[in-house]
Amino acid sequence: MSGVKRVAGWVLAFVGVAVALLLAIRILTQSLDLFDGLFNDPNKASTIDLFTEALYIGIAAMGLNILTGYNGQVSLGHGAFFGVGAYTSAILMFDHGWAYLPTLPVAGVICLFVGVLVGIPALRVKGLYLALVTLGLSVVFPDLTKRFVNGTGGTNLLSLKTEQISPPDWYDWFADPIADPLTDYVGSRDQWAFWLSFVIAVITLLCVWGIARSRFGRALIAVRDHEAAAVTVGIDLARVKVSAFAISAFFAGLAGSLSVLVSRLANAGKVETFQLSILLLVAVVVGGTATVWGPIIGAFVVVFAQDWIGEQETLTDLLDAERAKLLSPALFGIALIIMMYVLPDGIVGGARRGLRALRRPRAAPSDA
Amino acid sequence: MRKLATLRLRPLVLVFVLALVFAACGDGRDDEEESSGDDDTTEQPTDDTTAGEEPTGEADLIDAADCPGDPTTGTADGTIKFGTSLPQSGLYASFAEILRGSQAYFSYVNEELGGVTVNGEQYQIELIAKDDAYAADQTVSNVTGLINDDQVFGLFNVVGTKNNLAVRDFVNENCVPSLFAATGAPAWGNHEYPWILGTFLVPYPLEMQALVDYLTVNDPDASIAILRANDDFGAAYAETLESLIEGTDLTIAATETYDPETGEVASQITTLAATDADVFLLGATLTACPTALNELAGSGWDPLVYMSGTCTSKTLMALAGENGDGVVSVGPLLDPADPANASNEAMALYAEKVAQYQPEAAADNGIVAYGWSAAAMLVYTLENSPELTRESVMETARTLTEVSEIGLMPPGATWTLGAEDWFLGEQFNLVQYSAADGFFSALGDLQVYDDQTEEITPDSLINS
Amino acid sequence: MDQFLQHLMNGIEAGVIYASLALALVLIFKTTGILNFAQGEMALVSTYFTWKLAEWGLPVWVAILVSVGVSFVGGALIERVVIRPVEQSSPLVIVIVTIGLFLALNSLAQVIFGTDAHLMPRAYPNESWDLLGVNVEADTLVLIAVLAVECVVLWYLLQRTKVGLALRGVASNPESSRLVGVPVGSMLMFGWGLAAALGALAGSLVVPTTAGLTAGSMQSILVFAFAAAALGGFDSPLGAVVGGLIVGVAQSLTTAYVDWLNDIEIIVPFGLILVVLLIKPAGLFGKVRVERV
Repeated sequence: MSGVKRVAGWVLAFVGVAVALLLAIRILTQSLDLFDGLFNDPNKASTIDLFTEALYIGIAAMGLNILTGYNGQVSLGHGAFFGVGAYTSAILMFDHGWAYLPTLPVAGVICLFVGVLVGIPALRVKGLYLALVTLGLSVVFPDLTKRFVNGTGGTNLLSLKTEQISPPDWYDWFADPIADPLTDYVGSRDQWAFWLSFVIAVITLLCVWGIARSRFGRALIAVRDHEAAAVTVGIDLARVKVSAFAISAFFAGLAGSLSVLVSRLANAGKVETFQLSILLLVAVVVGGTATVWGPIIGAFVVVFAQDWIGEQETLTDLLDAERAKLLSPALFGIALIIMMYVLPDGIVGGARRGLRALRRPRAAPSDA
Repeated sequence: MRKLATLRLRPLVLVFVLALVFAACGDGRDDEEESSGDDDTTEQPTDDTTAGEEPTGEADLIDAADCPGDPTTGTADGTIKFGTSLPQSGLYASFAEILRGSQAYFSYVNEELGGVTVNGEQYQIELIAKDDAYAADQTVSNVTGLINDDQVFGLFNVVGTKNNLAVRDFVNENCVPSLFAATGAPAWGNHEYPWILGTFLVPYPLEMQALVDYLTVNDPDASIAILRANDDFGAAYAETLESLIEGTDLTIAATETYDPETGEVASQITTLAATDADVFLLGATLTACPTALNELAGSGWDPLVYMSGTCTSKTLMALAGENGDGVVSVGPLLDPADPANASNEAMALYAEKVAQYQPEAAADNGIVAYGWSAAAMLVYTLENSPELTRESVMETARTLTEVSEIGLMPPGATWTLGAEDWFLGEQFNLVQYSAADGFFSALGDLQVYDDQTEEITPDSLINS
Repeated sequence: MDQFLQHLMNGIEAGVIYASLALALVLIFKTTGILNFAQGEMALVSTYFTWKLAEWGLPVWVAILVSVGVSFVGGALIERVVIRPVEQSSPLVIVIVTIGLFLALNSLAQVIFGTDAHLMPRAYPNESWDLLGVNVEADTLVLIAVLAVECVVLWYLLQRTKVGLALRGVASNPESSRLVGVPVGSMLMFGWGLAAALGALAGSLVVPTTAGLTAGSMQSILVFAFAAAALGGFDSPLGAVVGGLIVGVAQSLTTAYVDWLNDIEIIVPFGLILVVLLIKPAGLFGKVRVERV
């Protein structure tokens, strides 16, 4: 019985936090015009989409951090979980006429289940080998969608209409009416996607924060640092590891589902899925592994850096415009390497070191 | 926060989760399998901006009554702004050569002809290109940015079938003309989407009609072995061919699929070679074409090879070397690698202007010639539009009539669109490769299939 | 029967290709303890270099030898310049750095050598022979011979020489190695250089057997090479070769005979890895490291 209670408690907490956040946002935006500059700049309508993208990449990265950061299991397959989430939502809307919102938890839960399925065999596979087995997920998943999804134009792509990803009716009450010539184009669709992702991101952050401080969190770390020792103090190795997989897959699924609101599609290709898996890992490491704030910060840095680099016209004195564009992946790669030199423990880790360094000089005289 | 701090996955949670998943899965799977093709369209919410639903075929093709936005967006200050999204970085970056061809033509028009004349006024053409590295979700974000932020008038030459499918709904909802989507997929014949127009590449199903007609004359009881990509592209060839050979003496000996993302074809060729069929249909693209030709050479099987029109570039054929000799395909444009075309006036202009405005482009590469010709089609469409509005330009594009000698069109060919004919490129040449010469030359007379693409294509390929 | 043998042969053809890159992956892991995501792209750049040299008129064999030599130096430099600064960091950080290197090398190769596919010249005539009804290509025989030589040389180098001992020591315990006077830095550079040289040889011989040299030439090979190395055991050169052959043959036979796996054949190599790792967590030929409590 206690299990049911606990689940009910969790669901209540989830919904409660979500509602509280929505109310807070409503008050903030309507009374303070807080985000006007950001959202209502007519020439930057897609900036908000970029923020939303950073948020959902951040959600998936925060989930991956539980597995890779706290529990030490490296996964190169979370792009596939993300994809499962996106496809779940898209299929439910595309084929079954569901509204978007109910598909979100279903996407998460299906991924949770798939996460358990993957986590069980992963128990015996460690480190490098686990990374390669999960790499298999990224490679196999796109082929599965090609075989089993009959989507737009006979491809494995599911493209959604604006109507399908528009906010529910109650959002009108919540949203600020926008007096903007662009309303015709974007309506409140993009803001809805942003706020929803924002709320889920905050909840995810709270969950990770809670987990990190819980017994379960300590068990995750103990297993990562020393499996044998963890067993001797009575930690159920299998349960901890599989749970970590399941939880991280759950958040990747939510993130994938949210991505549908921005990209208007579910799609999978080998290169794209693999790149996404890598991107999530990069966000975790750049932000700071095994830190609460790291992955979301890392996601913002990575998403905005990539976008910014894509817009740059580099070395145009040496190369013509076409060839210059070719360089953008190289610039991102080099930026990544430099980032790792400067902040090998990520942005959050680096910031902590910086703070400590600032404090130490003051403390030093008293020591001496 | 105490509640949050005690997360555990009790077995009960699992049971709950499993129940939910099975409920969702079971229901998903069933319907998914049932709803192949035509079902989908009936389930879509109706959208009154589309012409396809209007039973009266005589009404305007393009109904812009409910269109959002200003129909003259992107035409201020004597400039017409177009946007495009294509791979400029990543593994498919060679497609960016198309852009060089287009830019060369636009530079020529802007600088030497004073721009394009629409309804008596002259405009410069500006093309904003964004890189999507061939990823469909990036195409979506590029296209939303182009339409919302850059405020382009229309889209031009967006590359890739999936990439175009990904933005099709968005483009249609916003009534933004998307002209000459650079793929020959039959999906551009879907009447629900009047705002997106395919290009003049020979529609893939029509390639099959040409092949069947060629075989009926030259080898009426031939058996055909098929190698196709395991996606919509491969399906467009194989499924059309299957329906076209009904009632002929042609037979299909075997069909094998390959994965275009890895391009491995060796085992498939071995299996197909064992059938010793008379004809080998290569429904493949990019480097899988030369790979298959090379594998074929080692297999001891010597069929007549028909290869997808998407593979006819000089660079790809060079990779097959001698093994490409005698391959039959189609060509919607003159081959710039063929010296016999050098005396052609249009070709001379092309060679000169590409060298002048895009010195880094290889003018003898068919893909550059394609970009040049697509740009010429765009300029022709604009100049024939009665006014410079999105509706008018789209209407003009959809009713292009007897277009000839635009860009590098083969002499004598004409292309026509209309209310019921949504495909360009229905006149083209069958071509055959000569390895010794290193180019394709026309095989027989001009192929004329006006108004036939929609008729011969299985409905599921167009409307899904 | 002939057809079956031919499919088997196709599988071996693909398998030796995977194995030749897997060998480089294994070597770098064995000598430096790193999983190098950039291995394929390093080989790609080397292969472009071979192509360029051949285009400038060098005989192909000479071009390959020069490229292998230059790649050795290049690999050592990459270790010194790119990897050394993060050597002490967590393995995850090094993985991210190799991913950065992957992106950088791939796009630089395109900027320098162009985006079009190039015809890669062969070092030997492209002949094939009919052997019991099976078409055997010169490519396969050359690659098998090269792999065999590589295996013997590597085995001798790692197991029978002082340098090899030092290399292995550095990989398993850099601190102790340093204490007993092994020049750890030089050893790591040597390991990277050696792997880069192997990659250069692999790329230069493998790419001519595929359609052409493009920026994507090594990527799908790399995925299967990873699979091969995981299957065989990441610290065993012999394992990499056997793993490569298993992956290649399994893939070829599935494509040919298992219709219900049509279009999802890729499940087979990764399914195999999973099964093997469940039974032997360090791969077929890998040694499980005993953990001290």
